[in-house]
Amino acid sequence: MTMAGPELAHQLTPLAVLLPLGVAFLLLALSHWLPPRTADVTALVIALGLMVLCGWLGAESWHGPIVHWFGGWTPPVSGKPDVMLGIAFSVDPASAAVAAFCALLFAGSFVFAWGYFDKVHAHFHVLMLLFLAAMIGFCLTRDVFNLFVWFELMGIAAFALTAYPLGKSSLEGAFNFTIANALGSFLMLAGVGLLYARTGTLDFVTMGRIIASLPPDPVIAGGFCLVATALLTKAAIVPFNMWLSDAHAVAPSPVSVIFSGVMVSLGLFGLLKLVAIVFAGDPRVMMLVHIGLFWLGVATAVVGGLMAWAQRHLKRLLAFSTISHLGVMLIAVASVSAIGTEGFLVYLVGHGLVKGALFMIAGVLLARFNSVDEIELYGEGRSIWPAGIAMGVAGLLLGGLPWGLLHDATDSVHAGSHGLAGVVAIVAGTALTGAAVLRATARIFLRWSGVPGVERVAPTEREREKGDRPLWLMLLPCAVMLAIALLPADLAESFVHRAATGLVARAIPHAGGGTQAAAITFALTILIPAASLLRHRPTRRLARVAAHVETAPFYGLHVLHSGRVTDYVVWMMVGLAVLAGWLKFG
Amino acid sequence: MTGSWRLALLAPALVVLAIAAAQVILAMPAFGHPLSQYGATVDALVPMLRNVSNMVAAVNFDIRSIDTLGEESMLICAVTATVVLLRGHRGEGMTECAGRLPGRVWLERSDATVLMCRLAATTLFLYGVNVVLHGTVTPGGGFQGGAIAASSFVLIYLGEGYSTWRDVLHSETLAAVEGFGGFVFAMAAMVPLAFGYAAAQNVLPLGTWKDLYSGGLMVIVNAAVGVAVIGSFGVLLMEFMEETRAPKPGDEDDEDQEEGA
Amino acid sequence: MNVLAWCVAAWLLGVGIYGIVTSRHYVHLIGCMTVCQSATYVLLLGIGFRWGAGPPIFYDHPPGTPAVDPVMQALVLTDIVVGAAMTALLLAIALQVHKRRGTLDPQHLRPLRPRE
Repeated sequence: MTMAGPELAHQLTPLAVLLPLGVAFLLLALSHWLPPRTADVTALVIALGLMVLCGWLGAESWHGPIVHWFGGWTPPVSGKPDVMLGIAFSVDPASAAVAAFCALLFAGSFVFAWGYFDKVHAHFHVLMLLFLAAMIGFCLTRDVFNLFVWFELMGIAAFALTAYPLGKSSLEGAFNFTIANALGSFLMLAGVGLLYARTGTLDFVTMGRIIASLPPDPVIAGGFCLVATALLTKAAIVPFNMWLSDAHAVAPSPVSVIFSGVMVSLGLFGLLKLVAIVFAGDPRVMMLVHIGLFWLGVATAVVGGLMAWAQRHLKRLLAFSTISHLGVMLIAVASVSAIGTEGFLVYLVGHGLVKGALFMIAGVLLARFNSVDEIELYGEGRSIWPAGIAMGVAGLLLGGLPWGLLHDATDSVHAGSHGLAGVVAIVAGTALTGAAVLRATARIFLRWSGVPGVERVAPTEREREKGDRPLWLMLLPCAVMLAIALLPADLAESFVHRAATGLVARAIPHAGGGTQAAAITFALTILIPAASLLRHRPTRRLARVAAHVETAPFYGLHVLHSGRVTDYVVWMMVGLAVLAGWLKFG
Repeated sequence: MTGSWRLALLAPALVVLAIAAAQVILAMPAFGHPLSQYGATVDALVPMLRNVSNMVAAVNFDIRSIDTLGEESMLICAVTATVVLLRGHRGEGMTECAGRLPGRVWLERSDATVLMCRLAATTLFLYGVNVVLHGTVTPGGGFQGGAIAASSFVLIYLGEGYSTWRDVLHSETLAAVEGFGGFVFAMAAMVPLAFGYAAAQNVLPLGTWKDLYSGGLMVIVNAAVGVAVIGSFGVLLMEFMEETRAPKPGDEDDEDQEEGA
Repeated sequence: MNVLAWCVAAWLLGVGIYGIVTSRHYVHLIGCMTVCQSATYVLLLGIGFRWGAGPPIFYDHPPGTPAVDPVMQALVLTDIVVGAAMTALLLAIALQVHKRRGTLDPQHLRPLRPRE
């Protein structure tokens, strides 16, 4: 039987989710009897296969989305135009590319973790494959409740993987992560209920059509606030961000690669899809997105950057840097424009590659030295200098090195954002996170130190990760990912443009000013750590006052990030109230 | 933050949310007069299209079966996670008997308890299987029936004691049952693709309305869910009950190493 | 009567949140999560409810009899499974935390701690 391309693509679309699920169940069923390494090999092959499949589906969907109705419930089976009985997966270039990128990161993580997790049968691989299936389903689905199902599965797999090392901190981090995200998912379900009550459908496209035909309605607005709260919690946007620094800092490093690399940005991708397809016809919701979410993005970029600079535990530092970059991505999403979406998609990939590579380096340090504390590890890294080079490159990329995917993406984000606040937030977030990583690199690998400033009082802990893998095996996926991140975005320009316009058609006039901002950013990225590393103990009175003034604001931020889950729930409610209040009075 | 600070911050947030909620509540469609045509259409069309009488099962196992596959995955994922969490440092070994609080009086299990548990366990298991099998006909289905059937395992523990319970139930068998159930569901969705149908398309003979065999592929999916749920709950019960056994020397020693590291 | 179900859902969510925020024990906190989740059950079942309609199971009465929305009932079933899965996971975490820290008071638990 031969099939033409589009027909074959239609037939293969569901496999992107069904295959990893089926293989995960099979591994679980046979886990007691499988020869060693089978799970490693299978998981890696599946991840690579899904990367190819999703990439190919993306290319096939160039001329229009591939829509697959599960169970053959293709409309108009109901006989009514607004009643969609079944659930559809809809493949457009953007969704397929993001799904393929998820699979790529999983493949990298599987290579990095080769043989690391063989103690408890295949449980790690089962959880990871379910996690991957959930992410791909989340990217491709066209049904609001189905989106919730994949969101929830993604959550449960992630909670489990965080707690996997069973250390004190990883358990408490997993608990905080679970409570915050589970509460978010209940709110999301309530939001889905409200949307269904008003529109009578769960299908994205139909719901979008109905919402566009309705007068502004508090039920729709309320539904949006609840769903957005869940997605912003997953994406760790201020003030929903508190759980992330706990979870990502304590999860095993191969898992943190996935968490920071793509899981959190998927929250924003889901939000963008919902806004573009479902809520585009509701002017009040769109105002909230353009202005309210823009300011949340600004706050997130700045707070994340400051907190990243004030850390000494490398994984926690990277976690806050992720928060900051998510703020930048939210600024891009909030523009809901073609150029902003282009920037967001490239940023998602570029950031995921660089951050994934950095977490791998943190994993290498853990495996070698049982610590990721930059002050404790002072000069220790010299014996593994290739890791130092990779970390330096990654730090420069994160901090706005005018080269590679992240730089090109930041340009597009600048073009899509408006006003000085956006520019300042992007510059501050980028420079502070890049500076923090470079400071840690210099301390660990170059024996430059200076007197530790605010980072001295930050939380830290000794941990262990199994260190029986050769260095080259751990650095290989890291180097490949950095090499991809160094490619210029122009190579895929037409694809990215097609992907962005497939989601969002709205063009906006370019704000410009990107090149100047890029130069300032990069200068700051170099100057901030340089100033910190050259610092002497403040002996004169003036210097002591200056040091005090410098650290004071950070103490406040440290106190807010208290590590207590009860505080986090309060902040979530404050955030939800801000969204709701903005809609009512804004 | 201290408790009073938390409440001081929470109170205004909840006030704003209460106002917003009031506004949403007043704008909701009238209670008892749903706007949606979705459910009504299912009620009107599906009994004829699929020969089943239980519409909830039709939605779960046919119309929105991919949701249910995700839900099944969630359950299996959470159970696997629980296994990882609880078994992690304890391992899979068994001991002779359950742990006991020192000083508590230990009474022999009475014959009446043993007999009642044996009777009730058997009945409960069969009842659960019955609920699973009639999933497409009457209220119930794989999830509900599976949970009922699996709860009969607790009665084995109660009636026979720790060591018999561990002899009867093996964690690797339960995990295999769980994984197998999920795998059958995934295959039921994948196989129609190979024949040019949509994923999970119901192409089996539909059977007769109100009959045990009604609903075609739904019967297989429903049974697969039942099997997976029995396995999942079995694993879950076993891992939590294992927490009651007497710890062996050598269990939980990782923690000390961690302290020393 | 018209707004009672929605008010109950909002109330359940509110008291659940209050319980979480003032909780002094992980297991109590997990219970409060379940209360929050109950709000979604009430909301979804309320949305599917229709006056004068029976269950969407056409065994004793023929197809065509007014019935409530089966889609909402299916969604609630999913929701219940989610709740069960989540509770099991959280309780397992709580057990392990208790073994390692000797307390389950959220005020005394935090993942990474400053030196000194």
